[in-house]
Amino acid sequence: MRKPYTGVIAGVAGVLFLSALVAGQDNAQNNAPRSPWKYYPEDARANTGDGGPAPKRDLTGTWAGESSGAGIKRLVPPESPPPLTPLGKQLFDRNKAEGREVLIAQSNDPHVRYCDPFGFPRNMNDQIRSMTITTLPDRTFVLVKFMTIWREIWMDGRALPANVGGRGRDAHDPTYNGYSVGRWADDYTFVVETTGMAPETWATESGYPHSVDARVTERFQRKSKNDLTLTMTMDDPKLYTRPVSLGEIYFRWIPSQTFFDFTCIPSSVQRYLKEMGDPSGDPGAAR
Amino acid sequence: MVVLVAGLVSIDRSSFAHHGAAAFDMTSPVELKGAVVTEFLWINPHPLIKADYKDEKGEVQHWTMEMGSTVSAQLVGWTRTSLNSGDVVTLYVWQAKTKLPVGRFNKVLFSDGTTMRDTQTGGDDGGRADTGVRQ
Repeated sequence: MRKPYTGVIAGVAGVLFLSALVAGQDNAQNNAPRSPWKYYPEDARANTGDGGPAPKRDLTGTWAGESSGAGIKRLVPPESPPPLTPLGKQLFDRNKAEGREVLIAQSNDPHVRYCDPFGFPRNMNDQIRSMTITTLPDRTFVLVKFMTIWREIWMDGRALPANVGGRGRDAHDPTYNGYSVGRWADDYTFVVETTGMAPETWATESGYPHSVDARVTERFQRKSKNDLTLTMTMDDPKLYTRPVSLGEIYFRWIPSQTFFDFTCIPSSVQRYLKEMGDPSGDPGAAR
Repeated sequence: MVVLVAGLVSIDRSSFAHHGAAAFDMTSPVELKGAVVTEFLWINPHPLIKADYKDEKGEVQHWTMEMGSTVSAQLVGWTRTSLNSGDVVTLYVWQAKTKLPVGRFNKVLFSDGTTMRDTQTGGDDGGRADTGVRQ
């Protein structure tokens, strides 16, 4: 004898089975194995809130900056135009930064044309999408992901060198990242002073210059476990009539502590310029 | 046939923070229907899409177009294998004002009807907002 409800029961069971299967697949996707070697920006975005109070005197770890997919607040750009001295204006006018008036084909930005290192302070206010901070007993290191560079900040009480770029045995050569010393202003604010940066580098993406005697002050303020704010100012009396702001940059803690690889390769940029960058701004450019 | 597709254009500054858009005619993306990808270079400062497009006279144009940086492109789902040599696709590109066959990539329409976009809008937040190019 045919049981009248058998088909209905089978149908309901089938729907339940399929629903469970779909739910299982959704869970499987949500719980899909994730490589510890990969950066998942959605995880960074999901890490909302302040995460609790900041640990005292501790910035260590990997941080996401702007344009990292972590939903970071847009940085406050460097002051523009800053108050230049006549010498500062003369140097600034030599620098053809890419922008509305200057196309990449006409730019002489040493990074854009040749992948030259930004140098400090530009490496902290341009393309700063991620950094890692770590320490030794006498030093703090800032490891900038873009271009895979590291800065060394001494905390052993030494003074900044006074004779960078000068003459004599005790003179110091300018360097791309300059000479840095750091101290804790309070339990949550780390202050770094830097001088002696190679003067051929630009202070900002816009091409504002700096001299070897420029002194840059950075204040890293950890406001919570998840939030770090960097404010930068530069005092360079040869080129600017007063200290200028180099911007305010925001960072968020990355739960996975990993980030994309991101660097400029000279042979790649030469190919990019030949096949794309220069022809887009110069009708006579050879492709 | 090259079709100019009118549309509103909204540019997110962060997408162009590295290299600007001033070189390109951002008012009317060019459609390259049936373009054949010849090379997809996953490089910085910008990945390059190289493709051959046969115009209405039957002449082949060799196009090169740039995207957002590899990092920005990954945020909206791109990988180094998203395009491959031999793929037949429809490309939308903002051509350079020089009128050479180079430009800023906008989006690609694959033969299965799916689309991938560049990073101009909302890349930082994983967004895929359209930039005014009609489907």
